[in-house]
Amino acid sequence: MEICNSYSSSSVDSTNPSPSEYSVNLSLSLTFPSTSPQRARKQDWPPIKPRLRDTLKGRRRLLQRDYDTCLFVKVYMEGVPIGRKLDLSTFSGYESLLENLSHMFNTSIICGNHRDRKHHVLTYQDTDGDWMMVGDIPWEMFLETVRRLKITKPERC
Amino acid sequence: MASVSLLFVTLLSVTLYINIKSFILWDQSQTFLPSLSDSVLMDRRFPFKVLEHIFSFVDSNEDRNSVSLVCKSWFETERRTRKRVFVGNCYAVSPLKVARRFPKMRSLTLKGKPHFADYNLVPDGWGGYAWPWIEAMAARRPLLEEIRLKRMVVTDECLEKIAASFRDFKSLVLTSCEGFSTDGIAAIASTCRKLRNLELRECIVDDLGGDWLSYFPETSTSLVSLDFSCLDSEVKLSDLERLLSRSPNLKSLKLNRSVTLDVLESLLRRAPQLVELGTGSFSDELDPEEISKLTKALSELKQLKSLSGLWDLLPEYIPVLYSVCPRLTSLNLSYATVQMPDLIDLLSRCSKLQKLWVMDLIEDKGLKTVALCCKELRELRVFPSGADLDETDVTLTEQGLVSVSEGCQKLESVLYFCVQFTNAALVSIAKNRPNFRCFRLCVMEPFAPDYRTQQPLDEGFKAIVERCKDLRRLSVSGLLTDKAFEYIGVHAKKLRMLSIAFAGDSDLMLHHLLSGCESLKKLEIRDCPFGDTALLENAAKLETMRSLWMSSCFVSFGACKQLSQKMPRLNVEVIDEHPPKTRPDSSPVERIYIYRTVAGPRLDTPEFVWTIHKKPEVGVSRLAIR
Repeated sequence: MEICNSYSSSSVDSTNPSPSEYSVNLSLSLTFPSTSPQRARKQDWPPIKPRLRDTLKGRRRLLQRDYDTCLFVKVYMEGVPIGRKLDLSTFSGYESLLENLSHMFNTSIICGNHRDRKHHVLTYQDTDGDWMMVGDIPWEMFLETVRRLKITKPERC
Repeated sequence: MASVSLLFVTLLSVTLYINIKSFILWDQSQTFLPSLSDSVLMDRRFPFKVLEHIFSFVDSNEDRNSVSLVCKSWFETERRTRKRVFVGNCYAVSPLKVARRFPKMRSLTLKGKPHFADYNLVPDGWGGYAWPWIEAMAARRPLLEEIRLKRMVVTDECLEKIAASFRDFKSLVLTSCEGFSTDGIAAIASTCRKLRNLELRECIVDDLGGDWLSYFPETSTSLVSLDFSCLDSEVKLSDLERLLSRSPNLKSLKLNRSVTLDVLESLLRRAPQLVELGTGSFSDELDPEEISKLTKALSELKQLKSLSGLWDLLPEYIPVLYSVCPRLTSLNLSYATVQMPDLIDLLSRCSKLQKLWVMDLIEDKGLKTVALCCKELRELRVFPSGADLDETDVTLTEQGLVSVSEGCQKLESVLYFCVQFTNAALVSIAKNRPNFRCFRLCVMEPFAPDYRTQQPLDEGFKAIVERCKDLRRLSVSGLLTDKAFEYIGVHAKKLRMLSIAFAGDSDLMLHHLLSGCESLKKLEIRDCPFGDTALLENAAKLETMRSLWMSSCFVSFGACKQLSQKMPRLNVEVIDEHPPKTRPDSSPVERIYIYRTVAGPRLDTPEFVWTIHKKPEVGVSRLAIR
């Protein structure tokens, strides 16, 4: 088709302006424009109306809050067949959790850091299914990955 | 339409003896009013009444526009009989001209900002002011009864002017408008005694409180529809209850989110005749007795066809809706975070559903149910439930849309957000549903190829435009080369509106579209690598279109100047929030909005908008008058 010849196959040549915000090349590995700083102001992709976008953002925050406000996990003490259920969101951190558990199971429980023969150690099962020592990661991260708790005898660790 | 064309043929054969004068463009209406020739005047005594009667059957404005091009007397008759006036771009013509041309105007519809303003691509303050129109109509057309505005800036002053100027005012519908407060709404409510429709659809309102609702007249109102779903603040329950009790004609009621679930029952009891209901929040805690009362109140709405609102609908309240489902033709679940199993529960009961708006939480499985149960479906919109791309953990794939296209024979309009797609799916969809009129696919991952074959989605969209001969509106996405646009140019002959993002390789893309799509009226493009050549080669096409929007493309300032100079009836506007110190011809332009107009450059441009002057040496001009 003759008319094709009058058009450049690449629009990035020396006579054309090169946009400052992003680069284009024909291997189609294009930089996503809205990552550039000038675009950081208002979100314009995906193309949804502001009210829906705000509702979704609000909803995400709400979901995260819901997640935090209801975090019941099972707690077993080794050797005891019947477990307990505990809402982790009511605790502010590891210390209050340990204090409460110690009280609940009437024994002294500690985190893995200071092990000795006398105290039980608190472990947890994470989202991958692995059993880990409680206390290594920040509390908020712990809340996101914990699935159940187990109070183990000291020798096991 | 057959009866109208028969009338035309009859009329033409009757008036063959009349010397049909030259064809006139509609914008020259001002010049010939006094100078009708004798022969036409003489013959108008007979044909005028007949013409008038025939034209009263012509509703569509497109047909009326065609009618008005035939000859002077047809133009005259048509303009004196047009009641509903539609102006697709408020800057295409001056309000004064429109007011003068249509003396019998009873309804005015106006659209302002470009469509991409919905997605934050047009900076605030761009324009689209309703005031000049309201002012002009208030002075010349006091019998105006209806004003419908979309994407315009409406101030309280405008609303007060409407209330004060049009004594028979019946209908105000504002869609995606902004600039007014609840005080303006109060003015309308209190002064417009014959008000039938007050609808605020997705507007941004300065919400000063819920008092406006108490301003409706104390005697019975003539309200037929009331939509305040976009407002945030609470209205007083007693005001609302009393309003419903004295509005016997109310057919459509859309509440805002702050109307809690516990009061819904009391409202519905007072309006059992509702055909459309938009609830408020649907997540508050109700005790069993309240639930049972609400269920009963909903089941009493025997005429209910449309349901929306349902903010944060809790799964345990879905059974409350069972009674209305079988009658529903329209269901909007965009704000209901219901998961797939509950959605299936609800939708399997909606056998008459014609319009469904839902979140992608419905997943492929839910859409399969829709395909099985909702055989009357005509319109489907599936919105993303995560505002960011990396939040999608939902199993909605192309398969969902394929199922619906298979099962729902009447499906003709689709808006579908999905992370990725395949050509095979598009081909199936096209084969299943050649009756699409509106097909908008948003593949949310920019430049995403067919994830099975890694090919561009060219072949898929080819199938769509090839098979869907009646396609009026199309949005494309995903990885697309120039070939895709060649196909669109060749096949999409009835396409009127096209939206493109992150696509194409070169100028060919734009060239194919502008030279091929005969019916194209609105084209909006963002982030595509076409440049000057295609634009300038197809400049004439732009005068046959309503508008062209381009952002983040490779158009230079020099090309814009050339285009503006070449085309006298186009406004070429540059939007630049960070203007350079100098503008050499080769400098790129961030955003351009080009539209045809008979009103010349607009006088209300803000600092960041420049109209390119028709005289090349002048360059840009900002004829802003505040």
